[in-house]
Order: sequence, then C-alpha cells, then structure tokens
Amino acid sequence: MIARRLTSIFTYLLVGIFIFPIAWLVLTSLKPGNSTFVVPPVFFFTPTLDHYAEALSRGDFASSLVHSIIVSSTATLFGIAAAVPAAYIISTSSPRWRRVLRVGALLPQLLPPIVLVVPLFLEFRMLAITDTLYGLSFAYLTITIPVSTWVLVPFLDDLPVELQEAALVDGATPFTIVRRVILPLIRPGIVAAAAISILYTWNEFFYALILTGRDAKTATVSVVSFMTVKEMDWGRISAAGILVLLPVLVFALFAQRHLTRGLVSGSVK
Amino acid sequence: MNRSARLSRLLLALPAYGLIALLVGVPAVGSLYLSFHKWKLASFQNGVPFVGTDNYTAALGDPAFLHSIWLTLGFTLAALVVELVLGTLLALLLDRELRGGGTMRAMALLPMFVTNVVIGLIFRILLSYDFGVVNWFSSLFGLGPVPWLGDPKLAFWTLVLVDAWNTTSFVALLVLAGLRALPREPLEAAEVDGAGAFARFRYVIFPLLQPVIGVAALWRTIDLFRIFDVVFSLTGGGPSDATETASVFVYRHALGPLNLGLASAMSFIILFVLVLLLGTEAYLLRRRT
Repeated sequence: MIARRLTSIFTYLLVGIFIFPIAWLVLTSLKPGNSTFVVPPVFFFTPTLDHYAEALSRGDFASSLVHSIIVSSTATLFGIAAAVPAAYIISTSSPRWRRVLRVGALLPQLLPPIVLVVPLFLEFRMLAITDTLYGLSFAYLTITIPVSTWVLVPFLDDLPVELQEAALVDGATPFTIVRRVILPLIRPGIVAAAAISILYTWNEFFYALILTGRDAKTATVSVVSFMTVKEMDWGRISAAGILVLLPVLVFALFAQRHLTRGLVSGSVK
Repeated sequence: MNRSARLSRLLLALPAYGLIALLVGVPAVGSLYLSFHKWKLASFQNGVPFVGTDNYTAALGDPAFLHSIWLTLGFTLAALVVELVLGTLLALLLDRELRGGGTMRAMALLPMFVTNVVIGLIFRILLSYDFGVVNWFSSLFGLGPVPWLGDPKLAFWTLVLVDAWNTTSFVALLVLAGLRALPREPLEAAEVDGAGAFARFRYVIFPLLQPVIGVAALWRTIDLFRIFDVVFSLTGGGPSDATETASVFVYRHALGPLNLGLASAMSFIILFVLVLLLGTEAYLLRRRT
C-alpha cells in the first residue's frame, strides 16, 4: 500500500518535472519587465501582456505567424489529397508491392533533411521559388505526404474487404471507390493525419531557415532571429516563443486523441 | 484486374509518388551529382567542373567533420539509451491506476509536440548560468552555479537531457500502446505464481514489449541522427565545437559558405553512417526476437 502511494507520488513528481519547463516559459512571458530574469526568481507577480504586444509589434514577427499558418495548412491540405489515394493503393496492393510502396512513401522522412536541402536549394533557385510561401509549402510536402500516408494506411487496412469488393462488383472504378466509399469511412484517419501534418510543419525550422529569407519567413525562424540579436530581451523572446507554442499546446491537448492514435498506428503497424 | 482498373490505380498513386520523385528523387540525384563536382559561390558561374572524389577526400580528411560525425554517433546512442529507459519507465508509471490518470497522461505527452526551436529557448532560460531557475534551485542546497551550457563536456550531456525531455514522451506513447495490447494471461499467471512487480516486468512484460521498444529505437535513431533545430537554438554548436553535430557542422562550414559540392559529399557520408547504424540496430533487434 505504501509502495503504491509512493509510486503515485513519484509519477506526479515526474510529470511535474516534464511540465515545468513549459510552465516556466509561460510565467516568464507574463512577468513585468523588471522581474523577468532576476535572482532569486519571482514566483508571484501581476501578470502583464506587455511582452506579447512588444513581440507582435516587433519587425516581421506577426507576419511570420501568418506565413506559418498559410504554409502549414497548404502543405497539409495537398499532402492529404495526395496521401489518401496513395494509401488506398498501398492498402489494396499485394504484400510485396505493399512493402515497396510503403517504404517509398516514407523515404522523404527517412533521409536526413541535410541530404535533400542542398540540391533543393539549387532547384528552388532555378525555379525562382526561393523565399516564397508556395515554394516552402511545396518543400513541406516531403513531410505531409509521408506522414499522412503512414497514418492512413492502418485505417484503410481496418476497413472490411467486402465493402470494396461489393463496390467493384457494382462496376465502380477505383476513383469512385476512393471518393464515395473510402473517404467518408476514414474520416478519423484523415483528422489524425491532418493534426500530425499541421503540427510537424508548424514546428519545422531547417527547411524554412534555408529556403526562405525575408519574404516568406516562418514563425520558427523569426523566434530564432529574436534570440540571436545581441541585446536579448528574454521577456519578449518568451512571449514570441509562447505565441509559436500556444497553437501547438492547444492543439496537442484538444486533438491529442487523434494525434496519439495516428502516431501510434503510423509508427508501430 | 483489367487494364482500365490498372491504369486508374496508377493514376491514384501518381500524385503522391510523383511529388516524392520530384522532391526527393531529383534532389537526391542532384546531390550525388554535386558531390562529384565543384560548386562554389565564387566560381559556379564559370562552370561546375567534375572533380572526382575530391569532395569526399576533403570531407574525410577534415578532422572537424569527423569529430562532428563521432559526436553525433555518441549523442544518438547516449540519448537513445536515456530515452528508451525513461520512456519505458514513464509508460509503466502512467499505465497504473492513478487519480487524475487521464490528465497526467495528457500532460506527460506534451513535450513531444513542443516546437524544437522553442525548446532551445526554454532551456536557455532555465539553465542560464547567472539567472536560471535551475542554478538558483541548486544554490538552495549549497551547490554552486553549474555551467550547463558553458562547459564543453557538460554541454553535451545537457543536450542529451534536453532531447530526452523532448522525446521521452514519444517512446512512452509507443510503449503505453504496447502495454495496452499485452495479452492478459501470462501476467495473471505470473501473479498467481507470486512474482513480484520487478520479476513480472523482467520476465513477462519486457520480453513482450521488446518489439515495440525496438520500433521506438529505430524511429528515435533516425530522428536523433539528424538533430539540428535544438542544437541551433540551444547552443549553436558550442561551446567551441562541443555540441556541433553533423547537420549543424555541414550547415555552418559547407552549406553556409555555399560550398555545395562539399556539402553534398558530407551529407552522403552522414547518410552512409546513419544507414550503417540503423542496419546494426535492426540486426541486433532481429537476433534478440
């Protein structure tokens, strides 16, 4: 009994340690100017939104948030549009083809980005799409297509085979099957794929750093540029960090069921 | 299958695989081409001459690059061990009956979703030498300030711990799913036989969990080996080159100065090492199960 109690207390403590860093960033961002970064740290204070106002009015931070929203939703939308039919083909292929196609779809995520980014950088320059929102969205398909395909395949595998056979007997083409039969049935899978895609592209930094400059800068690049400025204002930086993190946290808490289900089925199956 | 059905299947697969070919195939071939050519900012307009394996010999002859590869290997293995052990422990704890268990699980899984560059920011604030809350806390116990990010040796382990904070929850998530899928009978049998908690884990749960932990290990390896964002925002690769992992090295010393031939050659060397590492892990896992 005592051992059980102690284990529970230990669990709470461990979860507390996991949560503390995020909580501390929230606190730092809300502290008034003179108490953001002092020793001993201030735990009780009147919260202020000053740092948020500063961060949003500073340079291009606000527009970089908009860029992130546009890029991650565009890449997610197109990624899923391409992934649904591909996942259907994978799910209905012979075992040998299935393996090949699954690994093929995952390839962009297996390769370290550093391998792809150098020629992608040149390719983008030739096509004159460097530092554009559609260019970056295009590059982010290397994230959203593999992730969505992998999340969707297990959902498709769970559908009864008779369903498709019946549709085939009725003379439906594979196109109609995907649109009329499959699409409505895998809605939870699509939600999971979208949730993960949005999160991954929103958090992405490496491609954004190399493939964008001034015009299409995303929020993650913006936050880092705040940090490398010589004179660091930690209150403002924290507020900027929270503005990037807030959608993620809200998303992760409310869509967690979909996120975790998608991640588990995509990784383990 | 008739011809039109086959054709429409091809068309359904085309968008995804066509785009992957365009975004991965073309660059991969391009990168391979570049790695055997000289592409420098100062000279590329006058042509990109074939230089054979010069870029590869230059990369392999650069002790700083080799250092970054060894560093990445060491970091990957150290973080992997920490994350697998902690993640399994966390999953076991969260799987128990617990008041507020649902909330606890939701909270514990949060760190894996946190934006990488914000992680760097968070821990720079927490671990600041002069003003960090961690050093303030340790000073309450009479411990002097710890140079978490300032001392080269320590910075490496700080990076490992920060990454562990970030992704232990991913391992925990997979293990938790594995625990939920465990067959009931062997566990009940062990309990009837009077096996303690530790014995049950060691002889019943752990062997059954091995495949899941193996999958988690492979995913984590792929992800750890490419680490860039967290290093970039936490230490920038420093102090000096103590945390300069392979991707950061290529960015700083080849991609940044726009020596693209060298950058390509280096990235292929990195890929080669990663494939070796994954192959070794997959071999070890297969032998065990």
